[in-house]
Order: sequence, then structure tokens, then C-alpha cells
Amino acid sequence: MAFSPGVLLYAFVGCLVGTLVGMLPGIGPLAGISILLPVTFGLDATRAIVMLAGIYYGSQYGGSTTSILMRIPGEAASVMTCIDGYAMAKKGRAGAALSIAAVGSFVAGTFGVIMLTLVAPPMANFALRFGPPEYTALLVLGLVFLAYMSSTSLVRTLLMASIGLLLGCIGIDVMTGHFRYSFDIKELGDGIGIVPVAVGLFGIGEILSTPASAVTEKVVPPRLRELLPTRTEWRQSAMPIVRGSLLGFSVGIVPGSAHIIASFLSYAVEKRLSRTPEEFGKGAVAGVAGPESANNAASTGAFAPMLALGLPTGPVTAVLMAALLIHGVPPGPMLVSEHPDVFWGFIASMYVGNLVLLALNLPLVGLFVSVLRIPYAYLYPLIIMFCIIGVYEVNHSIIDVWIMLTMGVAGYLLRKFDFDPAPLVLGLVIAPIFELSLRQSLIMSNGNWLIFVQRPIAQGLLAVCAVLLGLAALSPLFKRRDWRAKLAEVEAGEASS
Amino acid sequence: MRVQIRTDHAAGGAIVAAGALVLALSADLPFGTLASPGAGMLPTAVTVLMMAFAVILVLRAAQSPPLADIDWSDVRHAARVVGVMGLAVAFYISLGFVPTMVLLLFVLTYAIERRPLLPAVLFSVGVTLIAYLLFNILLKAPLPRGVFWY
Repeated sequence: MAFSPGVLLYAFVGCLVGTLVGMLPGIGPLAGISILLPVTFGLDATRAIVMLAGIYYGSQYGGSTTSILMRIPGEAASVMTCIDGYAMAKKGRAGAALSIAAVGSFVAGTFGVIMLTLVAPPMANFALRFGPPEYTALLVLGLVFLAYMSSTSLVRTLLMASIGLLLGCIGIDVMTGHFRYSFDIKELGDGIGIVPVAVGLFGIGEILSTPASAVTEKVVPPRLRELLPTRTEWRQSAMPIVRGSLLGFSVGIVPGSAHIIASFLSYAVEKRLSRTPEEFGKGAVAGVAGPESANNAASTGAFAPMLALGLPTGPVTAVLMAALLIHGVPPGPMLVSEHPDVFWGFIASMYVGNLVLLALNLPLVGLFVSVLRIPYAYLYPLIIMFCIIGVYEVNHSIIDVWIMLTMGVAGYLLRKFDFDPAPLVLGLVIAPIFELSLRQSLIMSNGNWLIFVQRPIAQGLLAVCAVLLGLAALSPLFKRRDWRAKLAEVEAGEASS
Repeated sequence: MRVQIRTDHAAGGAIVAAGALVLALSADLPFGTLASPGAGMLPTAVTVLMMAFAVILVLRAAQSPPLADIDWSDVRHAARVVGVMGLAVAFYISLGFVPTMVLLLFVLTYAIERRPLLPAVLFSVGVTLIAYLLFNILLKAPLPRGVFWY
């Protein structure tokens, strides 16, 4: 089943669409997956998740093309590749930079899948010991981790997450049947869907923040004759690829915008370890190989907690989780035993997907570049049309489309006021599981809050939360600028450029 | 002394006000007890938490940039796009997919982005027809038909 032509075809389609999504400004992997979610309704769960995941890791590949050729990160994780990738392109080494990015992504992606194969089943076995208190503690840890790792402040992230949790409370209360904040609109009885919120915040919000006049269409054309890197370039990229793969997977399994953080950390590590740090920013090969490898390994790593624990580590895995739920497959510890076809089909497709991406990205780079020449004035109306179709088709509800539009305006305003919308989406996704686990825990303990510290696993998870919150509280006392401050600077620079 | 309003003053204040509204709307939801939590427990707790974070934001607002520093140069463009989208959504069901999308794409490309008339018309009609064929015929995803039945 996993290697059947049908599944592989959808892996191919997902990778192709993902590459385009990663390249085009104004449409990231989250909006891409959300818009195409309705297209998967006619498919079985395996094919659906294989295609949607292909879009996700394909977008990590695609983002590198615009970063190297245009100095425009098609999606946020490619910000670091812009620096040295574009510098290499200006030196006439665009082909070599693209090759190193593609090979690094392939190696890291494959390493990530091998690690996922090894890590996810034991992680799922361990999670079988989880009851409601452990799940409550795990979800709290997920939110605290997200806030701790975020480049914006802890308070801003937790504020966004609490707004997401509140939005997740809209609709019928599953335990008592009460209608909450539905204002007699029957469509709101089922709650607010993640797709309209995600597409609105990330798709429409991005479009509203990007006037067509601000998008440049200048491309440094790659010299395909020089596609193969030199022996020196290969040697310079080997260890950064290895380090990026290890670092990326490790960061990927932690909640937060893992692929963005991983690429930034990898760049910092490579610059620190380099014998010629002054070359960074001027076309250092390691500055392309490391971050590109790290963001791909992180994208794969993010699937481990999603598949094994049912815990989304970021908005993209949250939408993928929603996609699995729509197809009647709940992710979590029982996924491997109850839906082995979905789990192993997904893993197998990723092995193939990485090969497909390597085959797609190098020979077809000229074709992809021509797509970039579509003027943004024509591109964004097209994206808006797909957003409307995508959101409407989920439930055939016009209310969902209005929610998308409202969230688009909210996304625009959040960007203006320097709020990251990602924690809001995460809060929305975990709200139903969090509320159910919390209330079940309290009912189990007859209202005794100590249940969360009397059970060893929950106690351990909450202890980690306390340590992270403690570290965050202490950080203003130490004025040392860590990587989060630097990441915020880079993101601010990207936003203003 | 004149107090300069900063972005976090405005954002935090707006969230506190929204939280107060949510608390008022939650009044009819049963809170329950700790041993038997009701439908209102989590929303109330989360709203209080949200307001607390917003208050912290306001208290630390001195670290944020002045409200006047926000660049609103793109707001007119954004407002026009939202307005056109709002009209499209309002007429999506009654008018049907094809007419709504042709008009939406045409207004965005011709009226808002000031692209030449002929390319804008060809783009609007061509893209809509391709999308109709892709979703309605190929993927069998039913699109709203409206008064014109397509």
C-alpha cells in the first residue's frame, strides 16, 4: 500500500505543489495546505496525508529557490538562506547554491525520516501510559515551550495562545451540550474551524500586508552549466549538512516554529565553527548548506510528536492533524496500531518524496523560475480565489468564508502590532483536547488540583514547564542577547524589507 | 506630563476590553464546581488569563514603539481588497461561482491594480473557467451555482 503507484502519485503532486507554494511570496505552506485540504476529501486518509505532508516538506525545498535567486524567502524558514545563497548567486554560483541546498535538503530530509521511523513508534508506546492529567500537562508544556522558543515575548505568545484557546471554546460544549458564544448561528455550533482561521491569518493576512508594488520580480538567472558545485564547495558543505540534519531533527520535535528556529540556529553554529566567519554574508557555502539541511530535518522531526502523541508542534502540523481528524484518523499513540497503513504509508511516502524533490528541484529550476515571473498583481487575486474556494468547500458554509475574511483583517492588524499569529492557531487546535483532559482530570480527582503533581509523568512535564517559565522570568536579569533576540531582528528585517 | 501612547497600550487595552465583553457574554454559562466543571469554566478561566496577559502588556508598554510609528501606508490598499472580497463573499451563494469570481478577479486586477483592460478580462475569465473545470468537473467539488446556475 505504502509504495503503491497511487500513493506515490499523490506524494509527487504534493511535492510539486509544495515546491511552488514555497517559492511564491504571499502563500506559505500553512495557507497552501489549508487551501488544498478540500481537494483531499475524495481521497482515503493515507493519500490525503501523503499529499498534504508533501506540500509541507516540498515548501521547505521551494523556499530556497527564491531565497537564492531573488533574495526573497518564499517562506520564513528560508530567511537565512537568503544571506549567503543570494551572495553566491551574485558571484555566478547560483547553480551550485541551488544544488547544495537541494542535496542538503535531501540528506537532511532522509535522515529525518529515518529518525522518525525509529523514534515515533516507541514514543507512541510510551504515550499509551498517558491519562487525562498527563495529556493536560503535555498540552500545557507544548504551549509553554512554544512561548519560550518564540522570538516574540513570552507574554505576547501566551496571550495569542489564550485567544486561540478562547476561540476554541466557541460551539457546543461536548460534555454538557451548552451552546457557547454561537449567537444563534447554527454553523457556529460545531465551533470555529481551523481552516478558515489558518487561511485567514496566514493567507489573506499576508496578502493584505503585501501591496503588489512592494514585490520585486528581479531574478538572478541560474547558470545551469554551473549546476554542479566544485570539489571544494562539496567539501565545505559536507559537515554543515551533517550538523544541520542532527540539529534540525532535535529542534523539530520541540513545539514552536521549529524549522525557522532550526535554520537560524544552524546558521549561528556554522558561523561560530567556521575558520572564515568573515565569509558569512558574502557567499559562504556553509551558510546555505547548514540552514537548508536544518529546516528540512526540522520539518520531518515535527511529525514525531504529531503522529505519536497527537500533539501539534506548530500551526502546520496542527492543520495536518485537523486533516487526519477530518478523514476519521485520530493521530496519537493508537495511530501506529489502529491505522498502520496511514502511519507507514506516510513514512514511506516521505522517503520517496525526498527523492522526488531532489529530482524536481534541480532539472526544473528554469521552469520554476518562470513561474516567479508572474506579476504579483495577478498572483494575489488568484490566491484569494483559491482561499475562498478552499475554505467554502470544507463545510460548504459561507460563514466559514466570513470567518476567513475576519481572520484576514485580524492577521493584518496582528502583524502591524508585532504579534505572531501561530500560537493562536495552536491554541485553537488544542482547545477541545485540552478542555476535555482538564475537566476529566478534575472529575477523576473529585476537584483536587493535586492530581497533576501526584502522577509522575504529569509531575515531570509540569516541572519542565516551571523550569522554562523560571528561565523566561530570569532572562531580563541577564542582558545577554541570545539567539531569540537575533531571530527577532532577522524577522523584523524581513518584514520591513 | 504628556504620556505617549505606544502600540502595546493600544493592543493591550483592546484585548482587555474584548475580554470584558466575553466575560459579560459568559454570564449565562454554568461555571460548575471543581469536581464537576461546567461549560463556562474554561472560557472564563482563559478570558481572565488573557486579560491578565494584556494588562502585563500594557504595564510593559514602554518597551514597545510609539503607536504613531506604525506604518499604515498599505492600509488603503488592504481596505480596498477587503471591501472587494467582502462583496464577493456576500454574493458568492446568490450569484454563483463563475460570475462572482470573474467579477472579483477583474475588479482586483483592473480597478485596484490598474492592469490593462484586455489582459485583466482574459485573466479573470480564463482563470475562473479553469478553476471551475478543475474543481467542479475534475475534482467533483460542488461549487455554488446561484441564480445563473453556474
